[in-house]
Amino acid sequence: MPPRLNLRAASRSLAIRPRPSMVPHQPRITQVVARRAYATDKEQPKTPNEAPLGHVSEEAADLGKVMGETEPDIGQGTSVQEILKRDQEGKEKAPEVIKEGIETPSKNTSQTNTVAHRLALGDLENVSAEPVGHKFGLPELPLPSNANLHYRYDPVVDQVTNLLMQHGKLSVAQRNMSFILNHLRTSAPPKTNPLRPLLAGSPPASHLPLNPILYLTLAIDSVAPLLRIRSQKGAAGGGNALQIPVPLGQRQRRRTAIMWILDAASKKKSRGSGKTQFAQRVADEIISVVEGKSNVWEKRGLVHKTGTSARANLMFGQKRRRIAS
Amino acid sequence: MSTSTTCWKCLSRPSLLSSQLSSRIAQVTVSAPFSSTATSLAPPLIRGNNGPQKGVKGTTAIKKKNRPQQTGKPPMPGERKALRKRVVLSNTNAIEVQDLVDLNQETVDGLLKENASGEYTSPVAGKVVGLPGTTVDSLRAIESFKTSQGWGLFRRPSLLVRKEAIDLTKSLVSAAKDQITQRLIIDGARGTGKSLMLLHAQAAAFAQGWVVINIPEARELVSATSDYAPIPDTMPQLWTQPTFTSSWLEKIQKANKTQLDTLKMTKKHNLPIEVPSEISLSRFLEIGVSDTDVAWPIFQAFWDEMNAKDRPPMLLTMDSTSYVMGMTEYRDKAINFIHSHDFVITKLFMDLFSGAIKMNNGGAVIAATSRSNSPTSISMDLAIMQALQRQAGEKLTRRNPFERKYDERVDSALRDITVMELSGVSKAEARSLMEYWAASGVLRQRVDEQIVAEKWALAGNGVIGEIKRNALNMRI
Repeated sequence: MPPRLNLRAASRSLAIRPRPSMVPHQPRITQVVARRAYATDKEQPKTPNEAPLGHVSEEAADLGKVMGETEPDIGQGTSVQEILKRDQEGKEKAPEVIKEGIETPSKNTSQTNTVAHRLALGDLENVSAEPVGHKFGLPELPLPSNANLHYRYDPVVDQVTNLLMQHGKLSVAQRNMSFILNHLRTSAPPKTNPLRPLLAGSPPASHLPLNPILYLTLAIDSVAPLLRIRSQKGAAGGGNALQIPVPLGQRQRRRTAIMWILDAASKKKSRGSGKTQFAQRVADEIISVVEGKSNVWEKRGLVHKTGTSARANLMFGQKRRRIAS
Repeated sequence: MSTSTTCWKCLSRPSLLSSQLSSRIAQVTVSAPFSSTATSLAPPLIRGNNGPQKGVKGTTAIKKKNRPQQTGKPPMPGERKALRKRVVLSNTNAIEVQDLVDLNQETVDGLLKENASGEYTSPVAGKVVGLPGTTVDSLRAIESFKTSQGWGLFRRPSLLVRKEAIDLTKSLVSAAKDQITQRLIIDGARGTGKSLMLLHAQAAAFAQGWVVINIPEARELVSATSDYAPIPDTMPQLWTQPTFTSSWLEKIQKANKTQLDTLKMTKKHNLPIEVPSEISLSRFLEIGVSDTDVAWPIFQAFWDEMNAKDRPPMLLTMDSTSYVMGMTEYRDKAINFIHSHDFVITKLFMDLFSGAIKMNNGGAVIAATSRSNSPTSISMDLAIMQALQRQAGEKLTRRNPFERKYDERVDSALRDITVMELSGVSKAEARSLMEYWAASGVLRQRVDEQIVAEKWALAGNGVIGEIKRNALNMRI
């Protein structure tokens, strides 16, 4: 992070110093000499805290030395234009001469100092033309979709984990999720039921246990409803609710399916004891979904059936709007 | 009780006179002289809706909810716990890894080959080896496999042969050859593979035809969950745990059956019951299994027999050792806690550690500490630290003069032990382990140098339990 520059310190020490022509291997000792000397011996500071601050770049260099960061090259000096470029308030209050300088930046202030420029001049030696400074290289672009911190896990696993969570205890939910996935890969391959077809193009059942995330995703996506039924109060006349089918997005569909599975699991009875019992029941429910035994399929069928019979109500809102206009 | 009416020792109010008391009782009995009707003849109380009583507010008690009737057969006693403690050693979904070498006698011999610079040159060094079926049965009998070690993910149990494991195997082989008793404590941070190092020692011992005796969890010795009895005429008083000893004998007999069937009784023993002579040691142990009262004398006789001439070496192992480095939960006649070294099984281990007892045919006694859920024994920790410093040729840490909780008996038992300090595995070992996981189809990831380095670094420089947690457990 570049050190913060304040204008007071800047204006206090705006030393008009001639920028040395490119002398890259100038020894450090000259920089010490170049520092502002004290007018009299009396004014010499007794403690390091009493010493007046150097100009901006010197201060930045000192700070960089303390913080272990790369310090600016003092030999270069910092041009006032560069400081003011970052400071809007200072720019407005700056003298006219400097203002003019900002508007017409001289070419030699910045461009001549770039590594590329100096490389082209053959000024720098022992520096390869390839980009340096990357310890582990640059990442390959485009970045993978899970490169973002917040999307590093599989979306289905992430969603199930969050829905498993109770009382904000994410770690417990993660442990349960881990148990579920491990249970899926250690239990026998499911025997699928042709009456309850899974998603088209799904792999054979024998391939599922070794890919538990696919197993879970397949169970959830296969049983996820396409729509939900919204009950519009009083819209059917006589105070009756009108059922209107509403299409769901992918995440909403999955959410509905997961909640059905979790509800079914919580109604089951656990056979063993210990803290993994709920996870065990959820895993068993997922297996029974893939095997077509779960009651979640009935729920899905009911929603779809209601949706089919209520599709006449789809135009409900639009009709009213037309009448109003 | 004194008959004086006033309390002569204090200034409290005098208690009621006995005469006054009796008169009061008489008053009570005569208070309702006319009611001679038995309560059973009274008209029954009318229950039900009598309407709210005038002037009495109705209670706002919460109505009890109708709980759903439990249907189905409830689990049998112990069934739920058995389900929890069940050790699964195979996953039929996992892919069988081809050309996996078994850890048998031949492999163990080959492990010890070194080159000139002291590096192990065996082809299985730093690789994963499978455990043969007989060894697996024996290890299961002595309860070496634990539920948390992830055995249930793979087709068959297998082990990583790390460098320390070869060192340990080497010391076992030399102990058998020179007929000495190796004394070793395995220590290390949590998840560094201490219990698995014990398991490796046991597997190597079974492969070489040793007799292996194991205490899988030292807590069972001290938690006062099994019965105990004093041994008469012992000074200081010693105690036995008959039921524990009996079930221990059963495990020993089951695990070492092939070996013990071939060994016959040779000595005469002073036993409280008649034992047919010239029976096999396996049969002899069965007597102790059936009768808990003679379990300890039978074990003593068994120990004598095993130390007779031309018997196989023995390996004694114990896990979570810090439990037996202090007081137990058992109490003596004066209701004081009994020291764990006063129990004969623990005493046997401690005598072996201190060098008071030796095994005549060679062998080893190995204990592993537990760093996750076990009591702290500052004496044991100091002994381990000093042993490590002694091994490294450093200056020994002195005991804290302001600390009272040192245990003299632990100090003397662990005075000159050898300690194996475990830390993370090397990157090469981590890689071969992860390649085995990937070959089993359990780790669905490319295993290359970068991934291995990442997992290795994330696991605290190769702490193996953490690598497993990170890569295998799917904790996401």
